[in-house]
Amino acid sequence: MPAVPGLVKGLGVTFKTMLATLFPDGAKNPIPRPSAGAQTVQYPHVKESPAPRARGVIALHEENCTACMLCARECPDWCIYIEGHKYLAPPRRAGGSPRQKNALDRFDIDYSLCMFCGICVEVCPFEALFWSPEYEFSELRIADLLHDKDRLGEWMHTVPDFEAYESGSEQKTKKVPR
Amino acid sequence: MSVSEQEQLAYIAAQAADARVNLELETEDGMTLNMGPQHPATHGTLRLVAKLDGEQVVAAEPIMGYMHRGYEKLTEVRTYPQVTTLINRIDWLGSFANEVPFILAAEQLMEVEAPPRAQWIRTILFEMSRIANISLYIGDMAVQIGATTPIFFAFRDREHILNQIERVTGGRFHPNFDRIGGLKDDLPAGWIEETKAVIKKMQTFCDQMDDLVAGNEIFQARTRGIGVIPAEVALSYGLSGANLRGSGVDWDLRRDQPCGLVYDQCDWKVWTHPDGDSYSRFWVRLQETREACNIVDQLLDNIPSGPIMAKVPRIIKVPAGEAYVATENPLGEMGYYVVSKGDLTPFRVKIRSASFSNMSICPWVLKGVFVPDIIAILGSLYFILGDIDR
Repeated sequence: MPAVPGLVKGLGVTFKTMLATLFPDGAKNPIPRPSAGAQTVQYPHVKESPAPRARGVIALHEENCTACMLCARECPDWCIYIEGHKYLAPPRRAGGSPRQKNALDRFDIDYSLCMFCGICVEVCPFEALFWSPEYEFSELRIADLLHDKDRLGEWMHTVPDFEAYESGSEQKTKKVPR
Repeated sequence: MSVSEQEQLAYIAAQAADARVNLELETEDGMTLNMGPQHPATHGTLRLVAKLDGEQVVAAEPIMGYMHRGYEKLTEVRTYPQVTTLINRIDWLGSFANEVPFILAAEQLMEVEAPPRAQWIRTILFEMSRIANISLYIGDMAVQIGATTPIFFAFRDREHILNQIERVTGGRFHPNFDRIGGLKDDLPAGWIEETKAVIKKMQTFCDQMDDLVAGNEIFQARTRGIGVIPAEVALSYGLSGANLRGSGVDWDLRRDQPCGLVYDQCDWKVWTHPDGDSYSRFWVRLQETREACNIVDQLLDNIPSGPIMAKVPRIIKVPAGEAYVATENPLGEMGYYVVSKGDLTPFRVKIRSASFSNMSICPWVLKGVFVPDIIAILGSLYFILGDIDR
């Protein structure tokens, strides 16, 4: 038989946890503040801020997109729909030949299918897709989860700057186009 | 062709007999008890058909496949970078650990090696997913015995680890961070300091669980001597991981086969327990969480600097060949047998998941136990349905 029974020891652990929750400031503040010591937050009133890298929703920087279809092809569940056309832009200098440019007609991501794997953001060669940690885009109808290019463009202002890297890293911190 | 009513009834009866419904109240030669597919103790959709004689189990048979998602087949039609996002979902509590053996197998075929910095970060994240996985198990085991507090403690402290994983990978549960030849990205600034603080919290958590669960007399009474698996039986059923070490077999792939992971760079110990009962399996896992904290703490101190990605082509085509790589995942030995024919996609991937093999001992170990002990034994064997059904 141990000196202190295991049951009592266990009760001590829960009791200490209760005290730490009720009095997060310790003995300095004897007024119980359970909401300050709690591990959870009162969600609709208080919001947690996910990490800047968190994969919440994909934002589209439309100017950079050339409708190259790489993201749509690499997507594991093919939930990106892209349509585009080519047009001739006026030459940059007088007397030059007209330039061929790609225009984006349609860029839809179906979030009811998306697995949030991030492959599309990774393969994009022109830096047109970015992750935003925003997570509140649930809908009552499943069809509304199809975000078109205007809606995806609106997410762009929620995209945080890329974080600096830990020392010893050889990666360069990229910039988010604004 | 019309089907007569008689034929219809016969068909329904055959189906019902097949599914063993309405057998519960048959008492002539014992009673059949269906545990699951929806039962809290089965961690998902495992069905356990137990034949009872009073309170004692005469025979028990696990029936799996209710959550089969066909990953082995799906990998044949997905490219290598896409496969990692699928296999994240096999053992969903320790997702990062699932990616590593597959990536290592593909790297072996392509004959590339990840740079040292990538190997260290891989090992750190691997052990962190082990902590996240097993800390939840510790709380879950207690909740199956009937204590409700530890599970809340486990969820509370696991969240710290998941937040750190999210800060690096962007995903709490499905990191999809490992790439052939390295990692997707490097660590963000300040991460090492924060993780050190979190590891301290996890060590406190382990101490708390030691006092709260392992030392508790009621818990010990419910688990000691229950579901004893001798070492030779455990070996013959192909058990792996903490279930095997709980039976006293000193076997750990991290130490014996550290292909591509840097476990030899730190000082740690493989824990075993000679008893082989439910308590010893729980105890081994508790010590392993401590040891994993210890490993992460040591590795964080001296991460080498350098690149995180080896030179690999943009479009990954794995040369023809076969490779099998297994690592010591939170649940046991997890291996991928990758066959490539030189295409963008694997030709065949055989997934050896730990829980599936660990479940095979169920009929043996459940024979002769009492009904409440089924829960303790299933809890201590620790399986995840995604890992069984794939």
